[in-house]
Amino acid sequence: MAYPTAILDVIGLWTGWVLMLMIYSYPLYKENVAYRFAEHIFVAIFLAINLVVNFTYLMNTCVTPLLGGNLLMVVPLILGILIYTMLIPEYRWVSRYPIALLVGAGFGLGIRGAIKPSILDAIVSTITAPSAGGMMDWVNFLYIAVGLVSSMLYFLLTYEHTGLLQPPTRIGRLFIMIGLGAYFGNTVLFRFTMLTGRAQFFLQVLKIIPM
Amino acid sequence: MSDQNIFDKLQNIDRRVFYWVLFITLMVPFVRPIGLPVKVVQNTRDLYLGITGDNVKPGDIVIMNFGYGVSAWSECAPGFTVCAKALLREGARIVFMGSQYDVELSFNKLKNDAKADFATKEYGVDYVFLGYFTGGESAIAQLATDAWTVYPADHYRTSVSDIPMMQDFHGWQDITLVLSSDTGDVGSYFLRQWQAAHGTKLAEIGIAMNGSTDYPYYLAGNYFGLSIGSRGGAELEVLIGEPGEATTAMDSINASHLLIVLAVIVANVGYLLSRRQA
Repeated sequence: MAYPTAILDVIGLWTGWVLMLMIYSYPLYKENVAYRFAEHIFVAIFLAINLVVNFTYLMNTCVTPLLGGNLLMVVPLILGILIYTMLIPEYRWVSRYPIALLVGAGFGLGIRGAIKPSILDAIVSTITAPSAGGMMDWVNFLYIAVGLVSSMLYFLLTYEHTGLLQPPTRIGRLFIMIGLGAYFGNTVLFRFTMLTGRAQFFLQVLKIIPM
Repeated sequence: MSDQNIFDKLQNIDRRVFYWVLFITLMVPFVRPIGLPVKVVQNTRDLYLGITGDNVKPGDIVIMNFGYGVSAWSECAPGFTVCAKALLREGARIVFMGSQYDVELSFNKLKNDAKADFATKEYGVDYVFLGYFTGGESAIAQLATDAWTVYPADHYRTSVSDIPMMQDFHGWQDITLVLSSDTGDVGSYFLRQWQAAHGTKLAEIGIAMNGSTDYPYYLAGNYFGLSIGSRGGAELEVLIGEPGEATTAMDSINASHLLIVLAVIVANVGYLLSRRQA
């Protein structure tokens, strides 16, 4: 991508650069007016775009087909409007029906597809020994197998973790800590990658590196 | 205060100093690249092999879902771009769609980054951009059974009945494979409503944060391939033989990771020493 030449694009680029610095002024300096200004602009634009995009989608998928003669579309439209009754205290109970429908449909769909990939396939994958591969595949297999069993034992709360149960539950706790630590580490590093993108943008706008 | 050792001083350092050091550390490799090698791991290789060669035939229809917004471009866009390039070169027809409200910006960036590949393709025949959808898992399930009700028109408000390519796409049975790139849950919706329900081939171009969550699905065969974060994007750029954004960013990412590892070691050593003194 080349450095933009159209005046509006250049203005947009520099506006983004300045707003980015205003946001970063909070961690790099302290909370200040510039940061708050940029934050409010961000929230306002986010909400405005979100509203417009969702409203447009609603018009395209529901209102336009309804006006075109698809009378069934009146059902989701009414259910959607009913959700707003939660803003009127005396009719708040009405909003529970569309919400119940949403939650029920969500759970039903989720459970339908979750059993095979999240439970059955995961169990089969865990108990299947590697048919080929090197020593590391076996190390991984044993690591996952021991980790799975001991972590599950840790959540066996109907028995006190003493005697025979003590060693595996302690190992289980260790695995859980390692797992959560890895997850937290990944989260932090993901944010750093996002920051990398901003650092690159910072240099690109100043033409220190090519865009 | 004067009897403080180096670790005590480091523990009491203003966090802003660390942020400045981090920001500068991230920038230096862009100006002076180190050029550390990128090793391709099996899950990324499987993803690339699954979208090239005999696995994709000319005319096959593939869904590519933008489940990421502008903020995650550095993580997801490079890998997504390589996959789009590879599929277009194989002659596949691509349906682009997205669950983020700024999906149009991501699509425009993709077209710009793969300009040469899109130049030889015709909109509506070789690829189509359906745009934003809402409705979460229900919408993805509905897409599998009747795609036209989720998208009566494309992003530019052209009715799907007037788009030649859409005549061949009504539901899951018309789709060869799905590639989803996500910061959120849309990949898991495809997993449950397409892969588990209909056996559709599915791969994920995920963020590093979700790597440990996605990897078991790859091991279990639910994903035929998996690209994790910028690193995965850089690996895909190696596989297609065209270094791009992710390859450039890898030095910076590596530098930031090294800084964090160093900070963790120093903090832990300091903590243990100060505890021993106490």
